Amino acid sequence: MSNPTMRSSDLVFAAGAKRPTKADVVIIGNGALGMFLADELVERQVGSVVVVGPSHRDTGASQAAGAMLGCFGETTTESLRTNAARTRFELGISAHDKWPETLRRLDEFAPSDRPLQTTTESHIILNSVGAELDTVNFAAIIDALDQYDKPWKEIDPTDIPGYNPRPESRALRAIHLPTEGAVDARGVLASLERRLRHGGAILLDQTVRRLVGSDEEVTAVELDDGHLIEAGTVVVAAGIHSESLVRTVFDVPDLMPTFPGLGFAMIAKRTGGEPFTSVVRTPNRGFACGLHVVPQGGGLEYYGATNRLVHTISSVTWMADVRFLAQYSMQQLDERAATHEVTKWCSGNRPVTLDGFPLVGWMPLSGLYLMTGTYRDGFHCAPLLAEHVANELQGKSGIIDSIFQPIRKPVATRTVESSIDEYVTHSLAAWFETGAQAAPQMTTSQLTDYYRNMAVQTYEQLGVDYALGPDILWYAQGNLHGARRVARYLRTFKGDGDVDQPTGATTGTGGTR
Amino acid sequence: MPADQPSVADTVRSLVTQRLNLNGYSQDLRPDDNLWSLGMTSLTCLGLMLSIEDTFEIELPEEALKESTFRSINTISAAVESSRK
Repeated sequence: MSNPTMRSSDLVFAAGAKRPTKADVVIIGNGALGMFLADELVERQVGSVVVVGPSHRDTGASQAAGAMLGCFGETTTESLRTNAARTRFELGISAHDKWPETLRRLDEFAPSDRPLQTTTESHIILNSVGAELDTVNFAAIIDALDQYDKPWKEIDPTDIPGYNPRPESRALRAIHLPTEGAVDARGVLASLERRLRHGGAILLDQTVRRLVGSDEEVTAVELDDGHLIEAGTVVVAAGIHSESLVRTVFDVPDLMPTFPGLGFAMIAKRTGGEPFTSVVRTPNRGFACGLHVVPQGGGLEYYGATNRLVHTISSVTWMADVRFLAQYSMQQLDERAATHEVTKWCSGNRPVTLDGFPLVGWMPLSGLYLMTGTYRDGFHCAPLLAEHVANELQGKSGIIDSIFQPIRKPVATRTVESSIDEYVTHSLAAWFETGAQAAPQMTTSQLTDYYRNMAVQTYEQLGVDYALGPDILWYAQGNLHGARRVARYLRTFKGDGDVDQPTGATTGTGGTR
Repeated sequence: MPADQPSVADTVRSLVTQRLNLNGYSQDLRPDDNLWSLGMTSLTCLGLMLSIEDTFEIELPEEALKESTFRSINTISAAVESSRK
């Protein structure tokens, strides 16, 4: 990359100006990634720091997050199958180790008496609702816990505090993870705001319209009202808006696309029954993160979450998602949830890259750094990524693997054949999870044939040989916009030695067709 | 247009015939026939869209990426002509 360090500058805030016209670092985005980075930079006293982002954080993933501090609870059969996936998985483990110190830093700035860490433990349940995918991911969680020598214990599901499902959806197995808890995402963001203001950072309740610069460097950002802020370094950490912001100054066809993973969750006030005292969740499920409840403190509980890749960024909630979450929270977690009072509807867009891996690093333009693409674990990884990025901005060694560099070919972790298998497994899981009904004479193997046919045809029509994750394949087949973005991007690598196999990211049984 | 240059509609007809596997039907394919009624699916439409863009070296506008654009040879040809302006 052409810019190994933040430029040394003598930029200072314009005297007497209400809003700064200059800063050493401008961070675009006030979600977990941007806020934790700002905090790290202020802590290191690297110079003036400005964070730009709307205070409502509408459409952002962080404000809607369940913020489980879970890496093992998120394990799937893919998590450790390839070196690249394992590298990403271990990023989560390293991030987990940073949270105790992170919370100690934030504690005095908490906006209320409610603790920022709402629980320190998780229970993973295996019921029969989620089809075969639940079973194999449950086994993958236990395998990973054993591989990394982490504590866990199989328990009687009826011993989980608060767990009170309908009998037909009851779990037959459950494990207790004593070291994976959760934080109050909204409380953590509020604490960061207070700590940053206390430390002298500027938080601007606005959005950035475009980056300003030339083909070689980025020198400033232009806010939505035309106000310019000159910057020594611009860090784009704007979640799903990051790609379009970068393209305002750097529009190249091989910049990896990022898709909105629109998700829905809700926070409800418990009105009766035994409260949950831990995260209670299923394994990751079809195209999504599984059903979960996260204690929020103050009698509140977070129920989540859905995930669908969409073409347009929005904060809308689909009625189907409301139905899904409400019905299955009652059936699979606690039937008393039916009378809980919803206090907040959470909707946000996870930044999902085409290859599923984050984009973190310097861009080819001097003065421009990108951190996004963290999908569903951006909040959890934010303190670690903040340390990494702060190091890089200061010209020190980073602490995460170089495979996440933002300008790269897509990381290959599977064959097209295994991509099709994975798509079929996820589709079947989604079929059963959503309560879809087939005619009595229709068997699961017929459904399997249908989904396999769809996946094979999608590859034929797209004309690509990069093996897509099941969520991206679903997205590409579902609408013409998605198909075109996926196909156009992947076709830029045709005749160029196919996609990348970065050092340390061998594919195990993967590879490309 | 030079005489030996196929028209937009001819090229679209050729792509439709190929992508929708209508070889045995192509002689009877009329410009206004509803392709969805002739077996086009959302997936074959996807491939047809990509081949139209590749062949004509165009990028259809976002608002054109909908079922009605790909209803017939005529509607596709109109979208191509519009994108070339």
